Amino acid sequence: MEKAAMMQTAQEMVASFVDLPTIPQVATRVIELLDKPGVELDEVADMILADQVLAARVIKMVNSPLYKPAHEIKSVKRALIYLGFRHIRELAFTCSFVDVFQGRDGILDIKSFWEHSFGVGVVSKIIAQRVRYPDTEKAYLVGIVHDIGEVFLSFYRQDAFRALLDSVQGQPFRLVQKEAEFLGTSHNEVGLCIARKWNFPADYCEVIALHHAPEEAVLDPTLCAIVNIADLFCSVCQLDYGGHSWVSFNLAEEKAWSILKGYAPNLADLDVERFCYELEDRVPEIQDMVKSIFQGIGG
Amino acid sequence: MAFESKPMDMKGSAQKISDKDFEQLRDYIYNVCGIYFHSSKKYFLESRLSRRMEVTGSKTHAEYYQYVRGGATGSAELKKLLDEITTNETCFFRNMPQLNALENKFLPEIVAVKGKIGFKKLRIWSAGSSSGEEAYTMAMLLLEKRATLLKDWIIEIVGTDINETVIGQAKEGVYNSYSVRNTPDFYLKKYFKEEAPGKFVLSPEVKKLATFNQLNLYDDNKMLFMKSFDFIFCANVLIYFDAASKGKVVQHFYNNLQSYGYFFVGQSESLHGVNDKFKTVHFPGGFTYNK
Repeated sequence: MEKAAMMQTAQEMVASFVDLPTIPQVATRVIELLDKPGVELDEVADMILADQVLAARVIKMVNSPLYKPAHEIKSVKRALIYLGFRHIRELAFTCSFVDVFQGRDGILDIKSFWEHSFGVGVVSKIIAQRVRYPDTEKAYLVGIVHDIGEVFLSFYRQDAFRALLDSVQGQPFRLVQKEAEFLGTSHNEVGLCIARKWNFPADYCEVIALHHAPEEAVLDPTLCAIVNIADLFCSVCQLDYGGHSWVSFNLAEEKAWSILKGYAPNLADLDVERFCYELEDRVPEIQDMVKSIFQGIGG
Repeated sequence: MAFESKPMDMKGSAQKISDKDFEQLRDYIYNVCGIYFHSSKKYFLESRLSRRMEVTGSKTHAEYYQYVRGGATGSAELKKLLDEITTNETCFFRNMPQLNALENKFLPEIVAVKGKIGFKKLRIWSAGSSSGEEAYTMAMLLLEKRATLLKDWIIEIVGTDINETVIGQAKEGVYNSYSVRNTPDFYLKKYFKEEAPGKFVLSPEVKKLATFNQLNLYDDNKMLFMKSFDFIFCANVLIYFDAASKGKVVQHFYNNLQSYGYFFVGQSESLHGVNDKFKTVHFPGGFTYNK
């Protein structure tokens, strides 16, 4: 399908979305501060402290198995000391972002969306570390937001989305291809329109638009490729929208894999089998973390 | 390779294994045998280890770890430990994600390729078939496709094992309730007859599709005759081989597989570092290898 037409459809679609949420201030500020020197991170801590709901979520999340504190952490201050400033930014961003999708369970439920998004965030960060990508935190954050288009598509276009899933029952498929067929656009274009509305930085927009076509990326193909591979791995390790995305892949044939190997030749030696098994081991941690964030907020 | 089918013993007063000891032992088992112990199986490993620690007189997990790493006695011990931890692996419909992928993707794919050239014959090998559960699971799955995808196709399923006793059991086709514990009701009702409580007799229709022979995977001459398979399964067998033998046997599998075929190992196994020709193909809940 013509790319321009898909973009046009997405723009019209997003313009028609009623009550599209706005981006939380904390999330915007965290992104803005990402490239700034560490001293301004005090501001993030202040923002958390000023928002009781956010503070409570941060504390819940830091006590989840993913962060493994030896003793329960009961205050934001303790959380800051335990995690250090870098992680607290991730937490502040994620926790502030939760509200954006509250009550927008469409055909894909929000919990499975978060499990997938967290998974892709966590795995993007692991891959970023392995390939020595300089900003692992950014890899985590773009991983979290890469599929924002999916939530809104499945919420605002429920009938078409249902028809899409019914059509593929029992057969392997990639969501992005089927969306073009059933909706005239995909979560990439819809996500891009929303990201622009929310004033996301250009490299975030690029990942949202091109995480399924990293070879077309101009600003940061490595980052797009990291998220692409993380997305694939999560889709085969139970972080697959509750089974709504059926993916099969061979790394040797993935363009993102070639991009990453070009960036970090040592990746050719990666034990992918073990990588998968280790990821499977982390799935319950990721699911627990999602549960911990939603506990008590009616998610 | 023969594995007994007996219920898992999760009870007992096993010494608690620390995260560090668990990870150390897991890494060692993975590096030597290519089998990965998921964290969710920690307690299972703990209980199995306690038996081996008792026999070897190891007081702590760290002490046992040193023992199992030490020379010839260590490698003999490692085999015994593997026996403990791979027991009860065998049952019908053991690896559901694998079967789903096979049914929905790999089988239709191969049928399309072979159908195009008018070669309507499917060959499947269960290497290390034990008492036949894996081979017969495939037989049942394929029987269900007889009227549709596999209409007019010839199906050949071969099971091989080094152990004659289990080959005999496979040919007999009589199973206990533990072997059928994962079998979906649909298949259980359709293809088994419960002759007595806990005695499940496989239907002749299924048995007819599979043949079983004694075969040593080390036997190069015989391995040369196992030709042109579309799917080869070899679960929890290679873990017993040393690196060199493993490389040789896997090379045989590679040669014996059609260019479009797939090679499946066990649910937690890995061929990393064993053969650099096979490519890994991922699917939800697992992966397989192809050429």
